[in-house]
Amino acid sequence: MSEITLNINGKQCKGKQGDSVLDVCVANSIDLPTLCHYKGLTDVGACRMCLVEIEKERNFVPACTHPASDGQVVKTSSEKLEKYRRLILELMFTERNHLCAYCVDSGDCELQSLAYKYQMDNARYQYAWPTQVTDSSNPFIVMDHNRCILCGRCIRTCDEITGAHALDFGKRGWKTNVCADINQPLGESSCISCGGCFQACPTGAIFSKASAYRGKPVECTTVESTCAICGVGCDIKALVKNNRLVRIDSPDMTKPRGLLCEMGRFEPLYDSAERVTTPLNRNSKGQLASCSYEEAFEIIAKKFGASDSVAGLASGKASSEALKALADLMDKLGSKLVDTLDGDDCRTVSQGIARFDSKAGLDMEAKLEDILTADCIVVIGAHPTKSHPVIGSYIMRAASKNKAQLIVLDPLRNPFTFRASVWLKPPEGKKELTVKALGKAILDHGLPKAAGDKSKFSADFKEVDVKKAGKDLGIDVHDITRAGQLLAESKNSIIIYGSGILEYKDADLVATILNLAALTSEKPSVISLKRYGNSRGAWQLGLGNPRGPVASDLAKGKAKGLYLLLADDLTESQALTDSIKGVEFTVVQASYLSPATAKADIVLPSLLWTESKGSYTTLDGINKKTSPLVKAPADIKTDADTLKEVARHLKK
Amino acid sequence: MAKVKVATVWLEACSGCHMSFLDIDEFIIDVSKLVEFRRSPITDIKTFTPVDVGIVEGSVGNEEEKEIIEELRHNCKILMAWGDCACFGGVCAMRNTFNKEDVLRRAYIETPSTYNGKIPVSPGVPALLDKVYPANQIVKVDCYVPGCPPEPEAIKYGLTELLAGRIPVVPSNIMRFD
Repeated sequence: MSEITLNINGKQCKGKQGDSVLDVCVANSIDLPTLCHYKGLTDVGACRMCLVEIEKERNFVPACTHPASDGQVVKTSSEKLEKYRRLILELMFTERNHLCAYCVDSGDCELQSLAYKYQMDNARYQYAWPTQVTDSSNPFIVMDHNRCILCGRCIRTCDEITGAHALDFGKRGWKTNVCADINQPLGESSCISCGGCFQACPTGAIFSKASAYRGKPVECTTVESTCAICGVGCDIKALVKNNRLVRIDSPDMTKPRGLLCEMGRFEPLYDSAERVTTPLNRNSKGQLASCSYEEAFEIIAKKFGASDSVAGLASGKASSEALKALADLMDKLGSKLVDTLDGDDCRTVSQGIARFDSKAGLDMEAKLEDILTADCIVVIGAHPTKSHPVIGSYIMRAASKNKAQLIVLDPLRNPFTFRASVWLKPPEGKKELTVKALGKAILDHGLPKAAGDKSKFSADFKEVDVKKAGKDLGIDVHDITRAGQLLAESKNSIIIYGSGILEYKDADLVATILNLAALTSEKPSVISLKRYGNSRGAWQLGLGNPRGPVASDLAKGKAKGLYLLLADDLTESQALTDSIKGVEFTVVQASYLSPATAKADIVLPSLLWTESKGSYTTLDGINKKTSPLVKAPADIKTDADTLKEVARHLKK
Repeated sequence: MAKVKVATVWLEACSGCHMSFLDIDEFIIDVSKLVEFRRSPITDIKTFTPVDVGIVEGSVGNEEEKEIIEELRHNCKILMAWGDCACFGGVCAMRNTFNKEDVLRRAYIETPSTYNGKIPVSPGVPALLDKVYPANQIVKVDCYVPGCPPEPEAIKYGLTELLAGRIPVVPSNIMRFD
């Protein structure tokens, strides 16, 4: 892009063709007040704070929407401009009910800071005192229209960053208001509670319930870390006061993995489950009682030392360090009975990939950012808006911004189905035939010559008769052929599959999906949604037992002892508690009391991801690190240290 | 030099601004050397005599308050507003998003602790205005020290500037609205 030079306040300032005047000011560290501008969002020129004087322009123009051009002579400050800016502030303060003394955002408000800057000690206009509502119907977010300046930052964040577009302006003129969907309460709307709106809100119009009045940013310390809840691994910036989490923000919402979701933003703030704070030992009365680490380690060493078969089970919520320590412990015990709680998923995905191409490992899967550039997205048996909301946002963004074609293959309605170009609803247990019919439809439509020879991948599909399959499935044949056509014509498709496929534990089906992806692109672009934050880390450490589920070994009584590393996993599973039943001696290492700890003989405490330093591998294979945001409520060892101590106490 | 004559009034507000004024530490001794208080809630003098500086804390929400601020304006050369209530309406202005009748009914009849409540109609109780107004919507105000309450530092600044013969505009670094 060609370089341009502007004269701003008498200084020669360089910019690029296509920049706005504001962009050039920012690049050259020229201070310009803004309210509706937010990094990464489209500028709309709503607030008029960034008005500047440009020579030969008839009027003052907003710098954010005015294109910069070579040779422009710009003045960002003059007596008249400052007068106008103060006037605009006064109009904003009198238009709604901005009363700082009882506003949650006082002290952290861009409108207030500008009023201070322009020494707005009174307003000369008559106050409108409009009757506005405060909408607190959303469980996490409050929308107080009294404080709204209609800058539209929330709306643009919801649309351009989150991809939900739950918010927009409603009504006209004086009655204009931010509203959710068709003017519904936020809690009943299509809002996915990602919290992007309140992070972007310059005033106290949108705020988080859990953060309100807990501390202003100036009173807090800021810690940057990674969210370890799901496998996306978003960057987070936590505000902490008195060892309490006040707020979790994104350090930069416009960056990849900068977007947060309901889980990452709110789950740690609403944590109320009962913690394990000391090691617990089952006493002679059969009750769990607090004991010292040393006592617990001695008992474990004695029991495990005497037992010839000890199994290890780990949740993918544990950090890689902890998982590695568990693997080492099992090595020392000479046990091959190690598995993860999502071991079935691991086996299905890995074997599926091996059947597709024996050499390719998990690394053949696509990166999450590939979703944003895809032109056709197929979502098979996955509900990312629930399990991995940020992936859901990526898909919605690709569909709305890049006009990516969306094909949903799922029996149930989900937030994508109404945006989908084609929604194929396979009946129960017939996803495989649907996938195969889709593959055949691609072949029937014909691939461009440039695609090369695809015969290697078409074996799964060749035999299928689309018409007959449509009849069997109860799906309109036109839908299948249309989906096939969209995929055949796409240049850059991606397939996302999840629990709806993995639940069948069918590696062939995974291989078929990979073949389907290989038909339309040179390098198949596929992402499997893994259940836990560090599932992939656990799989890569080889903890997913390739021979089959260890849980079933346990149920058959093949192991006398069990070491269950739950970490901060609270997902209750009947299969898990059942598998413990057949074991004589169980150690559970967990952050929270749960049905699993209730059955344990020894319980060892575990730190939360918000309390410890650890490595996590995202579901697309990126290594991320967490930093402790708060201190644990008690003196708890890290998971890895606890496991190493257990190993050290073993006599062998 | 003759002392500067000052009158302060406390209208619809919590008196926090006057508290903040008392919070200016030893500077209050300097002030007392230069200033003579003709009327203030602190001295409990209720009559007006002509003064150099009038200071108003609080917004204007009833007939009596309107009368007081008009009389103060009439009797002073410079009028200074203290606090968010006088500058912007403040906490008292919360009632402005409802209509007057609803507010009275809520306060005197509907509150859970009220039994057999009645809206007072005695001529001894000043009638509410339709809205609560900041001082500058009733009379001309010359300078403002916002804050809820204003920082003692800001009050001190306002007084120092006035005593030096200048009209104060509180600098950004000590201006606060909360």
